[in-house]
Amino acid sequence: MIATWYVIVSLMLIIYVVLDGRNFGAGMLHAVVAKTPEERRQVIAAIGPLWSWHEVWLVGFGGTLVAVFPKLMASAFAGYYLALFLILWCLILRGVSIEVGGHINDRLWQAYWDFVFVFSNFLLAVLFGAAAGNVARGVPLDANGDFSMAFFTNFSVRGQVGLLDWYTVSVAIFAFVLLAAHGGTYLVLKTEGPVHDRSATYARYLWLAVVPLFGAISLESWVVRPDLPGRAIYNPLCWLGLLVVIASTTTLISGLRTGRELRAFLASNFLLAGLLITGGAAIFPVMLYSTLSPQDSLTAYAVAASHKSLLIASIWWPIGFALATTYFVFISRRYAGKVSVKRDNQGFY
Amino acid sequence: MNSNLSDPAFWSRFQFGFTLTYHYLFPQLTMGLAWFLVYWKWRALKTGDEKYNDAVRFWAKIFGLNFAVGVVTGIPMEFQFGTNWAGFSRYAGGVIGQTLAMEGMFAFFLESAFVGALIWGEKRLGPRHHFLAAVGVALGSWLSGYFILVTNAFMQHPVGYKVEADGLLGISSLSLYLLNPWAWVEFAHNQMAALVTGSFVVTAVGAFYALRQVHSNQSRLYLRAGTCAGLIASLLVAFPTGDQQAKMVGRHQPVSLAAMEGKFQGGSLAGVAMIGQPNVAARRLENPIEVPGALSFLAYGTFQSYVHGLDEYPVDAWPDNVELLYYSFHLMITLGSIFIVLMAYANFQSWRGRLQSSTWLLWVLMLAFPFPYIANTVGWMTAELGRQPWLAYGLFHTRDGYSKVVSNGNTIFTLIGFIGLYFVLGLLFLFLIGREIAHGPDEEAAIDSRAEVITAGAKEQLA
Repeated sequence: MIATWYVIVSLMLIIYVVLDGRNFGAGMLHAVVAKTPEERRQVIAAIGPLWSWHEVWLVGFGGTLVAVFPKLMASAFAGYYLALFLILWCLILRGVSIEVGGHINDRLWQAYWDFVFVFSNFLLAVLFGAAAGNVARGVPLDANGDFSMAFFTNFSVRGQVGLLDWYTVSVAIFAFVLLAAHGGTYLVLKTEGPVHDRSATYARYLWLAVVPLFGAISLESWVVRPDLPGRAIYNPLCWLGLLVVIASTTTLISGLRTGRELRAFLASNFLLAGLLITGGAAIFPVMLYSTLSPQDSLTAYAVAASHKSLLIASIWWPIGFALATTYFVFISRRYAGKVSVKRDNQGFY
Repeated sequence: MNSNLSDPAFWSRFQFGFTLTYHYLFPQLTMGLAWFLVYWKWRALKTGDEKYNDAVRFWAKIFGLNFAVGVVTGIPMEFQFGTNWAGFSRYAGGVIGQTLAMEGMFAFFLESAFVGALIWGEKRLGPRHHFLAAVGVALGSWLSGYFILVTNAFMQHPVGYKVEADGLLGISSLSLYLLNPWAWVEFAHNQMAALVTGSFVVTAVGAFYALRQVHSNQSRLYLRAGTCAGLIASLLVAFPTGDQQAKMVGRHQPVSLAAMEGKFQGGSLAGVAMIGQPNVAARRLENPIEVPGALSFLAYGTFQSYVHGLDEYPVDAWPDNVELLYYSFHLMITLGSIFIVLMAYANFQSWRGRLQSSTWLLWVLMLAFPFPYIANTVGWMTAELGRQPWLAYGLFHTRDGYSKVVSNGNTIFTLIGFIGLYFVLGLLFLFLIGREIAHGPDEEAAIDSRAEVITAGAKEQLA
């Protein structure tokens, strides 16, 4: 039961990263693939009406986490205090820049909001990357299951660690490149003309850069958490994740080569998901690893809500998920195909 | 409120209170306005009259801005349960987490899947699906309100839980928890209050255009719908929903009722103070002007009913800021009564066909729109200050709920950040909304669609 809920909560996080990751990526590339005001509106329109729908997956994830792993939520959110608020503020700026940028047809106004948009998306990609690095590396949990962490201490990955060290910074860089490549692939699918062509070029180079970075991150993870691979090889989900990664990489390459944009983009989604599945399965059952003393690590079994609470959540959650999927199909159908600034833009004056 | 400035609970309360109060300025309009959009969209489908679509297009822009600020200020609320109230999340997360998660799964997905379609997608969706998008958004926003109010109702009047072996709360009955009688009353009261805000805003914009003598067709539409819904909602927010809410407080939180009313001594034939200032140290209400027996009647149904006074409870069981609670409650009641009178008079004038020409009434209606926001805010302050010193009433104290690992330095840092960010956000919002309202609804769509049948002269008239 608890393992199932671990899978479900991870699934919600994966869906969030895959969905909003494209917006972070497209938002960062916005700075380089769009040169005229019309082209910039094209990129915004590609994200436009659905950003809040993507963002609520984070809320759904947060809410579900409180319901099924309340003790983890209490410990992790209080411990990641400053980092979490930085993410929240960036999410505020990102949402606001999409909404208000389109309201006034004025050069300065749009230049300003375009900058805020790019900057907040960049920070979000980096911060979420660092957060993922923190989950893998562990946090300075004490025997009570509490921790509080500064932004940085001595950049080492053992003992009283900070939010940023050489490992989490490298994961952040990896996330930045990976999400930019993902967003580029999305823009290729959704846009036409010069934005499309530039995005295609960027996506190709970015995906090429992902390969060596992925190798580096894997090696670093092995150095930081030498205990993980030994356990992970017995976890079938880990193998499943790797299989997804390999299959989607092949599909992605063929999609990019032959210019099948939808295939490439779907493969990009699955590649992200595969990476997260592998990582999530590798650390299970530990949800928060203690860098101070491994026996103080918080496992899914220790932080779960009561059996009855989990049972009740298992009744309504599938219904909610089915409904969410229905909306997703409806909305995706409506918004399939290339965006057109004329049709999808807010009327501004 | 315990205002010892080195108390971490104080700073976490201050931050949560600030971010939540600010956040709720937006959803109350979203929830109120959503049904206006549904109504106009439905009229447009039924009658084919373009003026209704013009109204929807105009209000959808306001709705969209308001919704966006609501979303971005709402996401931090969910996370602050963990960041600032880790003690409470650990204790009650197994229960309140259920509704926080359900809000995401059932309400937010519905609402945000369709809100983009409602605002940006008219051309992609076509009229019927556009109407359905409006319904989806309205349902989603009200459902979201219900789940959050169930969460709050649990804090006010815990039901459906059990204490587990480790001393933490688990859920024992989902139906008891979801159908908490407190939640039903609170939901009805709160949603009517949101409708009051929506109606007053729609009315105010109508009055603004009427006074400037522009957009006369649209102005008439807004004034009609706004004043009509405004009267109904203002009446319902007082009776039966507000009345039932007060009775609920009287039954389950008698000490809060005593503090709300500034009743230091108990007694029958208890009066409602119209005016008066509580002096907590001297334990009396100063300069009171009372309606005798009214409180006994309102809270318990007869004039002879006994109303408990604060004196009957130990001081540490009192809400920790009696004065603020007293004023919040009285301000809410006073404003609510004024709303009924104002809207009743506006409807009377409208019925006589004189609303458009009564200049001073239009001025009052135009300037009245901030007051429902104030009434909603002080209403929530009444609920939340009245709940003190408990976080979950009778189970868990507020002073035990904050995050022990978060230093005051961190909380004050993020509080300053929120104040700065939200101040800028507020300016931006007011500027853009003001600009949209000054620009007004585009009525060109209407002209285009009728262009084939009307002459150039009539076209000019319409414009």
